[in-house]
Amino acid sequence: MEHTAGGPPPAVVVSGPQWRERRDKPVYDVTLWPNQSLTGQGLIWFLGISAGFLILPLIGIAGTAVFWGLIPFLALAFGGMWLAIRRNRANLRITEELKIWRDEVRVERREPGGQILRWQAEPLRVRIKLHKDQRIEDYLTLSGSGREIELGAFLAPEERVELAEEIEAALTRAIRA
Amino acid sequence: MAEAATHAHDHEHKVGFFTRWFCSTNHKDIGVLYLFTAAFMGLIAVGFSMYMRLELMEPGVQFMLDEEGNPNGHLWNIMITGHGILMMFFVIIPAMFGGFGNFFMPLQIGAPDMAFPRMNNLSYWLYVAGCTMALLSVVVPGGNGQGGSGVGWVLYAPLSTSEQGMATDFAIFALHLSGASSILGAVNMITTFLNMRAPGMKLMKVPLFPWSIFATAWMILLSLPVLAGAITMLLTDRNFGTTFFQPEGGGDPLLYQHIFWFFGHPEVYMLIVPAFGIVSHVVSTFSRKPVFGYAAMVFAMLIISALGFVVWAHHMYTVGMSLNSQAYFMLATLTIAVPTGIKIFSWIATMWGGSIEFRTPMLYAMGFIFLFTFGGVTGIVLSQAGVDRAYHDTYYVVAHFHYVMSLGAAFGIFAGIYYWIGKMSGRQYPEKLGKIQFWMLFIGANITFFPQHFVGRQGMPRRYIDYPEAFAFYNYISSIGAFIAGASFLFFFYIIWVTLTRGAKIENPNYWNDQYPSLEWSLPNPPPAHTFEILPTQKEWDTQKADH
Repeated sequence: MEHTAGGPPPAVVVSGPQWRERRDKPVYDVTLWPNQSLTGQGLIWFLGISAGFLILPLIGIAGTAVFWGLIPFLALAFGGMWLAIRRNRANLRITEELKIWRDEVRVERREPGGQILRWQAEPLRVRIKLHKDQRIEDYLTLSGSGREIELGAFLAPEERVELAEEIEAALTRAIRA
Repeated sequence: MAEAATHAHDHEHKVGFFTRWFCSTNHKDIGVLYLFTAAFMGLIAVGFSMYMRLELMEPGVQFMLDEEGNPNGHLWNIMITGHGILMMFFVIIPAMFGGFGNFFMPLQIGAPDMAFPRMNNLSYWLYVAGCTMALLSVVVPGGNGQGGSGVGWVLYAPLSTSEQGMATDFAIFALHLSGASSILGAVNMITTFLNMRAPGMKLMKVPLFPWSIFATAWMILLSLPVLAGAITMLLTDRNFGTTFFQPEGGGDPLLYQHIFWFFGHPEVYMLIVPAFGIVSHVVSTFSRKPVFGYAAMVFAMLIISALGFVVWAHHMYTVGMSLNSQAYFMLATLTIAVPTGIKIFSWIATMWGGSIEFRTPMLYAMGFIFLFTFGGVTGIVLSQAGVDRAYHDTYYVVAHFHYVMSLGAAFGIFAGIYYWIGKMSGRQYPEKLGKIQFWMLFIGANITFFPQHFVGRQGMPRRYIDYPEAFAFYNYISSIGAFIAGASFLFFFYIIWVTLTRGAKIENPNYWNDQYPSLEWSLPNPPPAHTFEILPTQKEWDTQKADH
């Protein structure tokens, strides 16, 4: 699934197992990302209309000293708004990619700062669990290779339940394949 | 990889008084801080207006005298300036936008907090710093060899560029701080509104109050930088020898008026648009019907906000503009009546056939609709450039804008407080006292401002400490009304104190039994410190998708 939540961040540090790029098609492949209600097109519309209104007071005062006095304030407001939205979108730019093959399960998480976190296990040894006693409702974890990791903590509880069912089915398919 | 946090339940984080209220980054706590600070500033601003009405109660100058017993016109000017600056920048916008906006906008869109919680804290403390500067501008050395700035809230050049002392500089800095606070707040609100809505909450599914806060934030973002630029140039004219607005150096004082009102007219809408949002929720709740014409209500709000940017010169018909310019500004101003009418008719249509319950918030909402319409109608009168020749700078204008703001925006604030105080505090206000307070304010404010239309028509100019005998009758009545309204304001503080200390505790989260509840009604009273850390699902906020 192609993610559209603000584009992938630059990779800075990769931690976890180093793995080879696999070209064979996985049994199951899913990319998860947190909710962002602003689309790229929405951002363009918002900034475009804002720029138009910010230019409005300048039209009547072009050619006066006051024109130059106003410009830095208008530019600051526009730049500040733009940076704020960019920062907020970047803060929410987390992706988790889960791929299941017959012989391997891989999870790669990209953090807002660009860090890439990896986890890998054999399908037979992966345990999937929905925790009912956690602060996050239906908290989903995968365990294997001596580690327990969370998955889709930013999703809605129903989405996690649905995801757990899908992963369970995919693991069964992978093992039987 | 994010390691699983499979420890036991995370406990609610307990914080001390200082940390909670002085270092808060929580949107609900910051909202409460805004409301209390705005109420304190409101008390001072209302105090100024009581002093002015006391002075105007009878012809002649009785109270505002200097040490030798002579009329002190500068003191009058200080009161006018202080009342205007405090009410416009430090009471109504902070209460509506900072208070209710902070507390309820993230809750209603299902966001866990504002997009930038620390910036939210900074906005609040900049506002407090601005309040301090504004209060100091009333007492530090100013014009006429006395204390205080007396140049009016509009700070028109060349009076503002030539008044002695530092009081006007303090007033300018107060507006700078307030402006910076509002712009940071607006950036935060816009980012939160645009990018942090609950999954599935498309723009046309957002409740009307968050929409009103977004429209207000957008107006702040686009107009306050213009004010900031204008007053910075005033400051350099005053202190560094520039002549942006000084005719002797090639500057143009009228240009200041143009750019001031480019900000000033949207400012008026910044005061009233959040009230539109509050009133929509209140009317829907107490009519037990969804808001009539939701999409039209949203677009009307956005159109009103946009038109606010292209009508500014109707505040200055008398400065010598060309006939064509006056014709344009007149027609553009008249256009605003259309979306405003849509809103008013939609509120009435919401009530039509509804099971109306006359609780205090509903009384305030209905009072708002009736009186805002009245103020809007006198606005249409004033929008006529020809008619404005007679009414400009008379008490007719004072009556008009107080009907829109004192009886409009302020009624919106009271409606919001009575509507949501149970949600914010967990305790309900005494209904009987609330109704008494409403009627005191409604009657008092009408007695204050209705007669001012007549003295305005008779030609009484605004901004004077004294007036001829001919205007005495209506001024006397107006002052009596002001004292009733002032008493209702003090009574309101008593009601708040009673509510917070002895009010009945309310357990039901949806205590008005709102049939079309927005998300805040799904939370306990008061809501816990952290809300919607797990984003709400569509079924929780979308009545069409809910399983009932």
